[in-house]
Amino acid sequence: MSVDVAQELLSGLGRTLVEGSLTDAAVQQQTAGRVLPILPEANVVKIGGQSMMDRGREAMFPIVDEIVDNLSRHQMILGTGAGTRARHAYSVGIDLGLPVGVLSVLGTFVSMQNARILHYLLAKHGIPFIEPIQFPQLPLYLVERRAVVFFGMPPYTFWQQNPAVGRIPPHRTDTGSYLVSEVFGARSMIYVKDEDGLYTADPKKDKNARFIPKATVAEIEEMDLPDVVVERAVLELMGNAQHRRSVRVINGLKPGNLTRALAGEDVGTLIEAD
Amino acid sequence: MSEQDRTDKADKADEADKTDPDARHHVTSLLMRESLIDRELQRTTGGDTPTFRMLPEARVVKVGGGSILDRGRSAVLPLVDEIGKALDSRTLIIGTGGGARTRHVFSIGMDLGLPTGVLAQLAIADALGNAHILGTLLAPHGVVAIPPEIFGHLLPFFVRAAPGVIFNGDPPYSIWEHPPPIGRIPPHRTDAGSYLTAECFGCKTFTLVKDVDGLYDKDPKKHPDAEFIPEISVAELRERKLETLPFDEILLDLVPRARLVDRFQIINGLKPELLIPALDGEHVGTMVYAGDD
Repeated sequence: MSVDVAQELLSGLGRTLVEGSLTDAAVQQQTAGRVLPILPEANVVKIGGQSMMDRGREAMFPIVDEIVDNLSRHQMILGTGAGTRARHAYSVGIDLGLPVGVLSVLGTFVSMQNARILHYLLAKHGIPFIEPIQFPQLPLYLVERRAVVFFGMPPYTFWQQNPAVGRIPPHRTDTGSYLVSEVFGARSMIYVKDEDGLYTADPKKDKNARFIPKATVAEIEEMDLPDVVVERAVLELMGNAQHRRSVRVINGLKPGNLTRALAGEDVGTLIEAD
Repeated sequence: MSEQDRTDKADKADEADKTDPDARHHVTSLLMRESLIDRELQRTTGGDTPTFRMLPEARVVKVGGGSILDRGRSAVLPLVDEIGKALDSRTLIIGTGGGARTRHVFSIGMDLGLPTGVLAQLAIADALGNAHILGTLLAPHGVVAIPPEIFGHLLPFFVRAAPGVIFNGDPPYSIWEHPPPIGRIPPHRTDAGSYLTAECFGCKTFTLVKDVDGLYDKDPKKHPDAEFIPEISVAELRERKLETLPFDEILLDLVPRARLVDRFQIINGLKPELLIPALDGEHVGTMVYAGDD
């Protein structure tokens, strides 16, 4: 583009971006500023794969009832985890030396199965399952039906990045759900799992694990925990977030927890960016 | 993990599956019942098995949007001729950048308060437009732009059917793009998407075609005394804290984690004769490599 045209048609920021380098911190600084909350009334709720869905009706029927009970009060964008079948697929894939991007494709399929399952449990309430390509219809469904189901995996597929350690795709369903809450400026990000929240160790393996009701990302990093209740990428991304600077983890096996979390009550563990 | 360890672990998993009152219904596997976030568990997935290379003979090349395509015929046609020659005996996967239109849509989107993920989604259209421009010029060679929805899954098939393919270099992050540490510019742009393609498919080389000879200690367009850097490791590059880089800076995070493609080369597309040597791995621009950390 010639400079004359640029001068004529572009705003100050436009000129900086067309003529400057996107890797220049001074240019990047100029791109900060207030971000529009796109769906400020919506809550993103992720239903765990291994923790909830793999338990079958015992865990799922009560949580589905609780979701339905809350439809009159809250809009929900419902993501799903992958769980044990993803672990199986990752195991086979790792044994064969498949690239991380291919493992990500396999994880996406399992998370999609779970989204379909959750969708059928909610179908009689008119709640649709949407794939990434259908996200432009999401606002309509939220207004009309108060909830939608999506698969929690971010659709990175072959473009999933390698992790720092090992080969398990680092951006899975916690991260994909979190990014949906961030980009839409959602009201909350709630992870429905089978533990009360964050512990000092995995409470399934360590009986001395201590419950942590509230923590900042920096505090969690300082504790240097061998295991945490949400994907580490969520903690990393929260620090850069424009909107969603806290997430909540609740125990979905305890009736009433989701209702309380949606109402903004202090239940489970609240993890904050700062 | 040794073969014996694997067997032991699988046996233990079988055993546990029979006796454990765990109400979760598991499928027996080495990762069964595990937290995938556990660091120890993650370490065991490093694996002795080498990562499988899907397309070891293909070369990935990213043609700059602002640096090459926006310049029009004077820059593009000579490069297209050279790409045509390269295609005679090589398989090319060509990514394109979005250039000036992406910068423009970013500025409008930011002015309206749109978030990073939306900007990333909007940018896909610009690189796709450029993929179609390049695809038109390479049509006589049977090389066309492939729609992003089918590109990844069908790539191995397409490169058997044609000498090369063109895609919008963007990774499909769209509204799932990560918010950057400063400001709102999507960090995974077309250099990153093209690199990740090369890494996942295990391609032979990854080349960035820009309008500078490679990396300099300062922007050579503004500083005639800028010093050329022929090769550098990511660690050194980070240490030097250069004001600008001629590629997506997220590559500095991605390349050190490489399993298959641990280096890339930046070449000057205004000197098309450099293209073929670069595709074959010869050092004709700036080579950036992961280093051994």
